[in-house]
Amino acid sequence: MSRLQNKVAVITGGTSGIGLAAAQRFVAEGAFVYIFARRQEELDRTVASIGRNIAGVPGDVRKLEDLDRLYAKIALDGRKLDVVVANVGAVDSVKLADVTIESFNHNFDVNARGVLFTVQKSLPLLNNGASVILTSTIASLRGFPGRSAYAASKTALRSYARTWTMELKDRGIRVNTITPGPCDTPLIDAQVSSPEEAAAVRAKHAANIPLGRMARPEEIAAAMLFLASDDASFVTGSELLVDGGMCSV
Amino acid sequence: MPKLQGKVAVVTGGSSGMGLATAKRFVDEGAFVYIVGRRQAELEKAVSLIGHNVAAVQGDVSNLADLDRLYAKVAREKGKIDILFAGAGIVDPQPLAETTEESFDKLFAINTRGLAFTVKKALPLLNDGGAIVVISSIAHAKGIPGFTAYSATKAAVRSFVRTWTAELKDRRIRVNAISPGPIDTPIFEQQAPTKEGADHARAQAAAAVPFGRLGRPEEIASAALFLASDEASFVAGVDLPVDGGMTAI
Repeated sequence: MSRLQNKVAVITGGTSGIGLAAAQRFVAEGAFVYIFARRQEELDRTVASIGRNIAGVPGDVRKLEDLDRLYAKIALDGRKLDVVVANVGAVDSVKLADVTIESFNHNFDVNARGVLFTVQKSLPLLNNGASVILTSTIASLRGFPGRSAYAASKTALRSYARTWTMELKDRGIRVNTITPGPCDTPLIDAQVSSPEEAAAVRAKHAANIPLGRMARPEEIAAAMLFLASDDASFVTGSELLVDGGMCSV
Repeated sequence: MPKLQGKVAVVTGGSSGMGLATAKRFVDEGAFVYIVGRRQAELEKAVSLIGHNVAAVQGDVSNLADLDRLYAKVAREKGKIDILFAGAGIVDPQPLAETTEESFDKLFAINTRGLAFTVKKALPLLNDGGAIVVISSIAHAKGIPGFTAYSATKAAVRSFVRTWTAELKDRRIRVNAISPGPIDTPIFEQQAPTKEGADHARAQAAAAVPFGRLGRPEEIASAALFLASDEASFVAGVDLPVDGGMTAI
């Protein structure tokens, strides 16, 4: 249980869902984790619940000065970085006919531009051999109505993994995307008004997945751990699908 | 904490290279492993190297009677299989203009048909919830002179993974492929008559890899461990490139 012993990781969007599960698993495997998210109370709650080897820095990936502050704190703490998980994502559901400049920009500002600058500003702190993980989505592989801007903005991440693999290879830095399928989180319950509706949503997702169920956040975190660890030392430039077979059949 | 405690694994191509490294890693993680290969002497060396919790079965995956003999032995001794690693494969480079029927047929007989029947004949013994890991190749996604038939045999293997993910979903058996880039194994000696020839082939292969080196067999083994274990419990139907960045170029 120490596959990230003495490693230092940054996880953006680390206070809920997949990011939170990743923070928990990485700390369990011996890493020190910095989580970066917008709401201080969520950061405080997460830091308190994990309890050790974790620090929270508030900020918005759309603001370059916030990213500067994140990495300045890590440098001030005397640490270098072994893992960066660019996991913050914005999502909305807007059919093409209704897309506005604002909704378009929101998706690209967070998902495409925010991820680029999250990784760019980590570069001076990255150790040789570090692992960069970008959280994509199955929406980048399939046509889902309402996801024009969201899916297109996330498709950038697969492209980044290729480009940055070639730019950073001389430092041995690996860059991969992880593509989760539908994940079972409390967000599902939050978006409906009864347990029966929630069950129906879960069943609808499960019907499209060969493994017959949605992912648990810990399962996405386990795949992130693989990519972050030395077990993936020859894996770079790739996309790891963690979708229960959904996009492969 | 051993990830495969109490599991029974069958590893074809297990007497050398990637299969041997995988068998050793599986045993290190608590599994009992049957290694399958054509050459008795190599098998005996492999058993010595691994040392415990391993048994060798001599056989050729393109021979159905050999497969029957293998699974009859596993059935008698263990009564079940949790993990099947299908790693038996050959190369035989020939430009299209010089491709012989004999070479074409031999490649498909081992790499494609042999793999399909290796999996088919394991099905009665495979536990529900088990894992199948097959070895495809970076070649299936690239145009490499001399690899007409080889690349096609490996593209077929990647296709099998999709079909079997759909077919075996009710048994919750996860089927995944690894697509290795060039890995440092004795396959180079098989292709070149002299040490200089083999070293030259290694250097040429490494030059095509963004990381500038061949992969180590242990790096395939650790990817196989991930896919075979509960760490990959939501990973199904995928092709995981382990290729030092070749998918990025």
